Amino acid sequence: MILHLNHTRRDSAAASTSEIVSTFLTLLEEGHLSTAEFARLQIYLDWLQYKQNFREPITVMQAATNQSGEPSRVEVRIDSRQVAPGCLRQLVQKAMKPSAAESASEQSRLYLEDFRSLRSSIVWEFNQLYWQRLKDWEHTTGKSYERALPGGASDGHHPQAISDSAREFWKLLKDLETRNQLPTEIFILEIGVGLAMRASMWLDQFAAIDQENGTSFYPRLRFLLGDYSLSTLERSRPAVKKHIDLCSFIALDALDPTKALSFLRHKILHVHSSNMYDNLPDEEVVWRDNRLYWVQVRAYVSAEDAARIGMMCGVQLEDVLRIIHRLLEVGANALPDREKGMAFWMEIWKAIRFEERLVDAMELPEIPLPAGLSYVQMEDILKDAPGDLRFHLSSGALESFRNTLPLLHPRGYLHVQDIFVTDLNEYSMGFYGPGKLDGSIVNWVNGALLREVAHRAGYDLHFTPFPYREGSKTSILRTSQRE
Amino acid sequence: MTLPILPTTMVGSYSMPSWLERLKTDYFARRISRHDLDEIHDCAVRSAIKDQEMAGLDIVTDGELRRDNMIDYFVERLPGIHIDRSSKKFYYDFYDSEVLGKIPMAALGLADDFKFLLANTDRATKFCVTGPHSLCKRVRNKYYPSDEALATDIARVMNMELKELVKAGAQLIQIDEPYYSGFPEDLAWGVKVLNTLVEGVNAKVALHICYGNRYGKPSWEGSYRYLFPRILEAKIQQLSLEFARRGGEDLDLFGEFSAPFELGAGVIDVKDQAVETADIVAERIRKVMKFVPAEKIVVLPDCGLYHLPRDIAFAKLRAMVQGTNIIRRELGHLDSKTKTAG
Repeated sequence: MILHLNHTRRDSAAASTSEIVSTFLTLLEEGHLSTAEFARLQIYLDWLQYKQNFREPITVMQAATNQSGEPSRVEVRIDSRQVAPGCLRQLVQKAMKPSAAESASEQSRLYLEDFRSLRSSIVWEFNQLYWQRLKDWEHTTGKSYERALPGGASDGHHPQAISDSAREFWKLLKDLETRNQLPTEIFILEIGVGLAMRASMWLDQFAAIDQENGTSFYPRLRFLLGDYSLSTLERSRPAVKKHIDLCSFIALDALDPTKALSFLRHKILHVHSSNMYDNLPDEEVVWRDNRLYWVQVRAYVSAEDAARIGMMCGVQLEDVLRIIHRLLEVGANALPDREKGMAFWMEIWKAIRFEERLVDAMELPEIPLPAGLSYVQMEDILKDAPGDLRFHLSSGALESFRNTLPLLHPRGYLHVQDIFVTDLNEYSMGFYGPGKLDGSIVNWVNGALLREVAHRAGYDLHFTPFPYREGSKTSILRTSQRE
Repeated sequence: MTLPILPTTMVGSYSMPSWLERLKTDYFARRISRHDLDEIHDCAVRSAIKDQEMAGLDIVTDGELRRDNMIDYFVERLPGIHIDRSSKKFYYDFYDSEVLGKIPMAALGLADDFKFLLANTDRATKFCVTGPHSLCKRVRNKYYPSDEALATDIARVMNMELKELVKAGAQLIQIDEPYYSGFPEDLAWGVKVLNTLVEGVNAKVALHICYGNRYGKPSWEGSYRYLFPRILEAKIQQLSLEFARRGGEDLDLFGEFSAPFELGAGVIDVKDQAVETADIVAERIRKVMKFVPAEKIVVLPDCGLYHLPRDIAFAKLRAMVQGTNIIRRELGHLDSKTKTAG
């Protein structure tokens, strides 16, 4: 048996590791585990960044059959944060029962889908529902999305950060002016503007800096506010009404901003986004024995939870799945009583868990790597990575990033405030999502992969810890031209 | 060799296949030998020549597929320049290189690559060389008192090499100087150095100046106005500029100044994967013809096709030839029934 300690939390790690070793040895001694099974055990002790997530306290995952036809390893993943003291043995026995998954199916789990890549899971439809019907959620919880954030506020709206950003941009314009290279129209893009609070503060700051220095850059600004729907953009208008003549509202796909803005290729001097990458569709992969495996998931709600939620909301157990699909179409109106509809939504979301399985990338009809990343490149990137590494592919973030770069002016830069893993080794010391943040999904973004994709596209990436709030997990990504 | 009116050609590079990128990187990782890589390059260059012929180009290049990038191919051969071979992990990266003493005169061996091109086509050929100004901007100068002094010595060495190319049969040599656009303040000495480079070279000399194409993106923005009138002092017979991506705004410079050389007009946007139609190409050529007579125009893409996938690069070249044929017909230089490769 091999025990992998995937975190550095001393407090829980010490107690849990000894308890785990002793529990499994006892199960072996008592004959609940054969020596062959014991030999194939790989125990992963994780600490999930998000208390609300998609894991059971203990999950067992049969790795894909290896090519030699030998019995494959059995992975037991333990979320040490969820395992209550004294429950370990019972939870392990339950999870390790022969054919636990088979007996569970049909009987104790209500499956919402078949196994698939995380990126295609139904949970992203829930995520989309949340953003489309954010008002409903906020109304029910009585608190805004931002108050649900770990720090109770978004780093995206930090006044000093915004002021510094405006000043940095002004300096670039001044330099371009000195070199006689300042374009007549100065394009700036913010992707994912939401209610445009940041855009408004940024424009206020920029106007003040411009006035203070006696330059006249401000009237030449063309501020593009980008978000996924026109209705969202409509809601952002009031915030920037003071600057409305400089603003354009563009409905765009965060995964491919160039599609809507192709007429501005190589023309935008500054692109910004805050807390967007961490909410884009993602998937996880495992690098093991010089091979890449996909983590496929199957979302479910335990039968117990389904029955409880059904009873609470007046839905028959056999109708729960149908109402879930209805919910994803019409929100809380899925039930005649909207309050019950909201309760149904929130409780189901809370109850959703994943079953996982590993699939060898070579067995997939096509390797679903995001554009800009080839299998060969992945091999190159991973050849020096720690063995047996499970990490995020950050496919949505990679796509968005790669499809934003063509918009940048030769002297332009991309500025992203988000949560990043900047070194692949970090994945051996923490588990960075997916987690549930209110009704949305959150994943740390694989900055190490972004760096590689950027390199091939002609950019260097620089990550700086957010310096404006103590304890913030945010980093600032900034691009610079690579020669 | 007699060329048709509005001769068509590439700027220099052709699409770099991803399999070749991988093999080049394998070479740096010592996974394949120099001998194997040379053979692979030969195959790739033959294929690039064939594609140009099939697209209907009048003048072909070797596609520059042997080159890691526009700098290292030359820096590796220039004597007296020290390169750190461990400084790149991807073949396309630039080496870290520095000059610590006077650059001695020595042969660079470019003629071998040109001879290979010549042996594999019966079309007219062009051989492209990165200019001294661009080279000196990528080498750390630890010896010469100025960039100009370094560039001048590079020009002296390369002048000898250009003469070797002419001896080998080169009739058209193109000098690439994209860094002029990044350092317009250098232009006065840049042109002086260019004239040193081409002094006594008995071939048609073209000068290509763009706004950069590193990683398939522009490195600078601005207007070609900075070139005038100084560029008129350059001892060249052709000036190649990009007009497709940037629009034809700078074409009026050719109305304003009487240029003694031909204009190589970029009519294909190499930074956009969308393939132009023949009509768009024709329209772009018509725009150029408002300022420059057809007899003095060469039709080419904005810059190298290095970063485009092969199928797109090929389709763009075909469209360029077809668009040119539309204009040739309009000018009565091509019978509408004449079958052309394009």
